[in-house]
Amino acid sequence: MKKSKLSLIILLVFSLFLVSCSQKDNTKETDVVTTKNTEESSSLDFEGRTLNVVTTSDAYVDLFNKFAKETNSKVEFLSMSSGEVLAKVRAEGGTPMADLWFGGGLDAFMDAKNDDLLEAHNSDLTKEVDSKYKDPEGYWYSKGLTVVGFLVNNDVMKEKNIEIPKTWADLTNEKLKGEVIMSDPSISGTNYAALKGLLDLFGEEEGWEYIEKLNNNIDFYGKRGKDPQEKTSEGEFAVGIIPADKSAFDLAEEKNLTVVYPEDGIPWVPEGVAVFKGSENADIAKAFIDFMLEDENLEELAKLDGKDSAQIIKPGIKGFDLGLPADKLIEEDLSTFGSDREAILNKWKEIAGSKASND
Amino acid sequence: MFNKKLFNKTLDKFIMLTISIVVILFILYPFIAVFIESLFEDGSINLSKLFNFIITEKKLIYNSLLMAILTAVLTTTVTVAIAIYWFISGKRLKKIINATLFLTLISPPFISSLSYINLFGRRGFITYELLHLRINPYGLPGIVFMQSVGFISLNALILIGILKTMDSSTINSARSLGAKTNNIITDIIIPYLKSGIVVVFMLTFVRSLADFSTPAIIGGSYNVLATEAYLSIISAGDINRSALINLVLFSIAIIIFIIFRNNFKNISTNSFSNGDNNIVINKSGLIFNIFKIITILFLGILIIQYSSIFISAFTKSIGGKKHFTLEHFNNSKQYFTTTYVRSIVYSLIAGITSSFLGLFIVYYMQIRKLKFFKFIDFIATLPYIVPGTFFGIGYILAFNKAPLKLTGTVYIVVLNLIFKVLPFATKTNLTTVSQINKELTNSVKDLGGFGLYDFKDVVLPMAKESLFLTFVNGFTSSMTTIGSIIFLVYPAQKLITLVLFDVVQSGKYGVASVLSCLIILTCLLINGLYYKIISKKEK
Repeated sequence: MKKSKLSLIILLVFSLFLVSCSQKDNTKETDVVTTKNTEESSSLDFEGRTLNVVTTSDAYVDLFNKFAKETNSKVEFLSMSSGEVLAKVRAEGGTPMADLWFGGGLDAFMDAKNDDLLEAHNSDLTKEVDSKYKDPEGYWYSKGLTVVGFLVNNDVMKEKNIEIPKTWADLTNEKLKGEVIMSDPSISGTNYAALKGLLDLFGEEEGWEYIEKLNNNIDFYGKRGKDPQEKTSEGEFAVGIIPADKSAFDLAEEKNLTVVYPEDGIPWVPEGVAVFKGSENADIAKAFIDFMLEDENLEELAKLDGKDSAQIIKPGIKGFDLGLPADKLIEEDLSTFGSDREAILNKWKEIAGSKASND
Repeated sequence: MFNKKLFNKTLDKFIMLTISIVVILFILYPFIAVFIESLFEDGSINLSKLFNFIITEKKLIYNSLLMAILTAVLTTTVTVAIAIYWFISGKRLKKIINATLFLTLISPPFISSLSYINLFGRRGFITYELLHLRINPYGLPGIVFMQSVGFISLNALILIGILKTMDSSTINSARSLGAKTNNIITDIIIPYLKSGIVVVFMLTFVRSLADFSTPAIIGGSYNVLATEAYLSIISAGDINRSALINLVLFSIAIIIFIIFRNNFKNISTNSFSNGDNNIVINKSGLIFNIFKIITILFLGILIIQYSSIFISAFTKSIGGKKHFTLEHFNNSKQYFTTTYVRSIVYSLIAGITSSFLGLFIVYYMQIRKLKFFKFIDFIATLPYIVPGTFFGIGYILAFNKAPLKLTGTVYIVVLNLIFKVLPFATKTNLTTVSQINKELTNSVKDLGGFGLYDFKDVVLPMAKESLFLTFVNGFTSSMTTIGSIIFLVYPAQKLITLVLFDVVQSGKYGVASVLSCLIILTCLLINGLYYKIISKKEK
């Protein structure tokens, strides 16, 4: 009997603890409202306030911390895929789940803009961004480019006695049957970018012909964005279609793999950044976008993302030297990146059949 | 005295009312929200959507059913073998088996399926390096195998719990009549386990149906409903389709559940009592030896699997060779933050609240024989038979607007955790409470006890073991759950499983392994402490 009392007491203490925690947060928030409209000055001060971020991975902690320090605020983040972000915000009837949306394929940002879920931001700093890398009205900006490459498992290639593929055309080699893996492009932004890029590169008709041939060498499409990288590095497959960044090169060194930039054309996609409409700390989120666009922070971001200089949205900023040939980046038509998504994915599903996730 | 009686009665009524309200509000209402989302269109019900789905996606449904049946058959077979082998073996072996099963109840998400690829993949340690095979591990066999490995530990503990209550005299007299071990197993033990076996089969079937992460990682091109429900959201943000798929899953599960529901009443799960009935059975015979081999194989797989997590926590490979390192350990230091403390606090609340809530429900249903609580108990079972995403979507749809706006608060996460583990609490407590002799509770009444006295004096002391087991389950699964809370958590309320998810997504498997080890250790530690507190008070 005593024991149960004890447990009840523990429970009570914890719930009180919880309640008091959440109350503390509330009082903080009310404080905030009163100081919200302070004049913008060269040194922003968001004392006692928190910027909530949904992002793609925990890679950006250092940048968030730097922002928090400079602006006297706190940054909390959560990782989610862009599809989940969209679904969640829609399900909650447009209530924003965070203030800032940091990273993720551009198509989701374009969708969100159409659904009226984003808030525009324009400032002196955003003016400097090349029009290729921003929404004309300022609803989203690009934080950098993801480029698509191959990850090749040297051991498997040696065992199968195949040359390391250098071009997209090489991937259709019959010897590679069942040895190529890519993720379901409806799930992986990178692999959607690959599909879209290939169509822009080869043109509609030839592009689909190529995709059909590639499909013959693919056993199944991974259900997670990480599948190609993971399974190629474990030797499950010979070639994975991956986002080529520093982490891929590092992994290659660890596990005896090779990263290849396809010589006939490198597909790419800008990663988006945006402010959620009606979010509580939209002002901090906007301040963060300006902060991100400062040269030194873009450089820091490139470091965290493991990007080559050619993947950065502003010229003249130094990233890693990963040997990315900027001239091989495919001429892409970004205006149709979001609007064509459904049509492209439907056609792809027809080709992929049961290898895709949706029968 | 009169006031005390009045107080007691009021308290009794208050508890009844509170439980009924919270169960209806936090379980039934989110379920209804999902039904409405998936079936209502422009204010009226549209069943053709459901039928269309069933017709166009029959392959998906077939795949799910086949997977669930195969997993249930494999799991049940191995579970029965382990439980009976445990029953016949000596005291020390019993302890080892029990400990291994208990330890492997805690399985951090993602990691197990990744270690499966490491071990059994095309270049896996066992298949490729030891056996020089190059097999394709993706698809149905992989899913069935991996799900079974994950489900067997809990199921075996349930069956072992039943065997502990077995009366030794039947077996002893059969032995003295010269019965062989084979016959004792087939004629006495298995019939005794019958309803337990049905329950285990059914639970596995339903859990397999609801599991989305195993098929997602190793399913290859084999697609199932649960994965599809999750992917509809990730790939297209399509909550409506996801709700519809979840509804189909729910319909299958509820049919199975209703058919076999009665079997629950006959089982018991005192898996942690040290009941030592003096049964000596000859360790011989074909069946015994087959069971022995199955058990050893299974325990071997578990040990390899968990060691591989441990090993990858402390090794790093350079140029394809493994080296010892403390790097992952250092890198994981940044995660020892408030997130970790928060996870423990939430899980403690979920574990404790659900175990007591479960006991109260069972008390009102079983001892007080309140018809209405049969209904409450039924509702309280629902979260068990649906995928985590169903319950998460339900919460987000149900609590996103005033006056019940909970989205974005800590409460929605904690409540979701509590009610997600409640079914296990009611089922486990039920088995204990059903064993309480009616005369005991009646005698309390005869002695002038009223209202909650029989709860305090009879039910509570007897339910210690099952309260502990439900706490362990509640705490552990709250520490490792992801499906239901991923839609509910806001950036400032992140939990450790989400961090683990992150780390796995960024490919930092070393760090992920360290975090997994940490989660396992924390669960063991908290469970151990809780057990200490309980057993101390017992004396």
